[in-house]
Order: sequence, then C-alpha cells, then structure tokens
Amino acid sequence: MRLAAQIVVAYFLLLLLSAVWRLFPWSELVPDIAVLIAAYLGLTAREQAAPSVASAVFIGYLADLLFGTPVGLIALISGLTCTACHLIQGRLLVRGSVFTTVFSGLVALAAGLFTILVRSFAGLLPPGWAGELGTLALSVVITGLLGPIVFRTCRFVDSRFARTRRERDAAASGMIG
Amino acid sequence: MLLKRKHLDYALAGLLLLLPAVLLRSSLREPADQNGFDRAVLRISSPLQAAASWVVGGLGDLFSDYVWLVNVEDENDELRATNIRLREELGQLRGAAADLAILEELVDLKRSTQAETAAAHVIASSINSHFRVNRIRIDRGDTQVEVGMPVISAEGLVGRILHSYGTHSDVLLVADPQSSVDVVIEETGGRGLLKGVASDDAYFCEIEYLEQGKAVRVGDKVKTSGLGKHFPEGLLVGEIASVDSARHGLYQKVTVKPAVDFSSLDTVLILLAPPPPSDPARAQNQQSKSAHGVEPF
Repeated sequence: MRLAAQIVVAYFLLLLLSAVWRLFPWSELVPDIAVLIAAYLGLTAREQAAPSVASAVFIGYLADLLFGTPVGLIALISGLTCTACHLIQGRLLVRGSVFTTVFSGLVALAAGLFTILVRSFAGLLPPGWAGELGTLALSVVITGLLGPIVFRTCRFVDSRFARTRRERDAAASGMIG
Repeated sequence: MLLKRKHLDYALAGLLLLLPAVLLRSSLREPADQNGFDRAVLRISSPLQAAASWVVGGLGDLFSDYVWLVNVEDENDELRATNIRLREELGQLRGAAADLAILEELVDLKRSTQAETAAAHVIASSINSHFRVNRIRIDRGDTQVEVGMPVISAEGLVGRILHSYGTHSDVLLVADPQSSVDVVIEETGGRGLLKGVASDDAYFCEIEYLEQGKAVRVGDKVKTSGLGKHFPEGLLVGEIASVDSARHGLYQKVTVKPAVDFSSLDTVLILLAPPPPSDPARAQNQQSKSAHGVEPF
C-alpha cells in the first residue's frame, strides 16, 4: 500500500512536471524526479528489494510515457538506481538538506552518465560532447536542488502509512529503512 | 532459509530490471509502438496535464500581469510626457511645413513676376462681425513701401497699400467698396472699372462702365488693364460670376468673384515697381529698376 501511494504521488509529480516545466525559462533542464523517487524507494526498502525495484521500474515507465523518452530508458535507470541504493542503504543515511542535495546530485550524475551511455549504444548521441556534458552538469545541479523537496514528499507519504507513532516520526525524519 | 529468500529477492529484482531493458531495446527499434497500457496512461494523463498546464499558466499570467501593473503607472506617465512632447513637435513641424509651402509659393510667384517685389507677412486683418475682411495689415512700413503700391499673391491681385505707418501698412483689398481698379475682360477685351461690393457673406466686386456691345460670359477672366498706372497690366483679378444682360442702358452690370481668397492670406508680394515693357530682345528674367526710390529687400 505504501509503495502504491508512492507510485501515485510520483505519477502526479511527474504529471505536474511534464505539464508546467515547459513554462519556465530553464525548461530544457529537466530534473530527474523519477530517479530521485527510485533512489528513495531503494534507500527505504525494507526486507525485500523486489517490490521497491518493481515500483521504481513502474515509476520510470510512467516517466517515459509522460516525458516522451524511449520507453524503458528511465524505467531501466530507475530500476538500477533503486537496486544500487538498496545495496548501499545499510551504509548510508541520507538526512539533512545539504547531504540530501549532494546525494541527489550524485544520483542525477549517475543517471545522466548512464543515459549518455545508452544513447551512445543506440547511436542517438550527437557528435558534440561538450554540450551534452554541460546539460548534464546543469541537470545535476537542478536535480540536487529539488532533491530535498522530493525526499520530504516521499517521507511525508511514508509517514501517512506508518503503523505506530514511532514509525511515523522515523519516516518523517528519514530514519525509515 | 533467509539467505535463500534474499537470493530469490535479488533474482526477482534482476528479472524486473530485464523488463525495461527489453522494452527499451524494442522501443529504440520501433519508437512508434504503443501498447494498450501506454495508450490508457496517456489518455488519462492528457487532460490532467492540460488542466495542470492551464492552472499554472494562468497563475503565471496573473503574476506577469501583476508585475506589469506595478510598472504601468510609471510607464503611463512617461508615455503621457512623450505624447505631449511629440504633439508639440508635430504642431511645430506642421507649422513649419505650412510656412515652407507658403514660401515655396511665394518664391514661384516672385520668379514669375518680372516686377521688383518685396514679400510681406499678413499680421492682422480688420475684424467686424457684420462685414467680411476688407483690409489686411502687413509687416512692411513706410520706410519700405509706399501708399498705392500694388499687392499681389499667387492667386492674383490682392489690393494696394492704403496706409503706411511705422513698420506696418494697411492693404485695401480689391473687394473693398473704396477700391477701384481699371480692368479688362480677357476674352472680349472689354474694359471697365472694378469696384468692391460691401457684402457680409461673400467677397464680390462689380465692373462699372462695361459697354453693352461686348457681351461677357460667366467664367471670363478679369485682369488689370494697366491704365491709371496704379496696377501693372495683366494681373489676374478674378472671373465673371454673373451678368445682368437684361439691364437697359449703355453699360453691362456684371459681378466678379475675386481670384484671391482674402480670408486665408498669409504672405503677399508688394510690387515696388511696375514690370518693364515687354521686349523679346531682353532676357526674360531681367527685372525693372526700382521706382518710388524704394530698393527691394
């Protein structure tokens, strides 16, 4: 149920992003919201990783549909991000705005590099690399800046599904895991 | 058991990762392909996206309008000031253009007149609520012009200097009842004496002593005859407006509509000396010597 709620919230965030981001002057730099939520799901997966990975893949799939990217691209990146975050969740505690921003930026960097890799394999990468790297850098920055907001939203959803007050406080403060 | 479950979990996660990889490979080969789920998601999402876009776009417009309204008062003040300044400039330019047109007209007249002339501005006219303007005042005084000098405009004869004092002079218009000009009908050669008519609704003159034998028609040109030595020969005065042929007697009774619109006169030429007698051997533009002891300016 918690994961279903996260998917619904992610869907509406992606929907809002796809609808209104074009109105902003910096509309070419789209933050990797789906990847951030996937990272959050990986970091907060409990005993089993598969449900979180499935949710992350599904959220990525929705992002592909809404953003018009090749179907499966963001889904694959989200799934990989979720899995990777699940693997490091025991060694990493993402708390505080600054660290969340840095972590979100790193996630966006990894996702961006993987996207460039996939595009190069698919022959979709343009000849010039400098422009792609510049766009990637700016995308990393903007994703990093939005990271704390996205994580806070996800924690809020988690706190709504907490069974006890202790769980709710833990979820709200980013201690769930 | 726990380890086995964990391995199973990772295996399942791996399989889940294969799914988007396969989808991606398929999508890159056939980008246009969509399944039923894709279409359903997009069908649901499209109106929601439109609504979100409308709401956020409207908020953006509202914000833009607010920001614009904050500055609109200053902008309005600035535009009003600019408008006033531009209107003033436009008025000045229109005046300058009108002056230029008058001056061009005057230059043409001066070139076409072989007599020695001096230009003058009309600075005033006699104002009477019951009579039309019959005299005008020009900015040339007794040191520059003399009483009796003819005054003309581009349209034709205006009148003659009546009084001269200081730096100004009054001009007696040909439409004034005191005015009399010896004229000739261009078409018939008939001669008479043109006198102004005191009319309160139009400028009119009458020709006296025009013999019955030489019938004139409405529209015939009336010019100065050169007799009397007040006006040089051939200046256009006006045209016949009406002919009273039923009148018995030696002379015809005709009215003349002056060629000059006296109410809109702005600049005139004063003939300082009559033109030289026509002589084909002399250059066409050679002008006469000054008369009355007055030099042109």
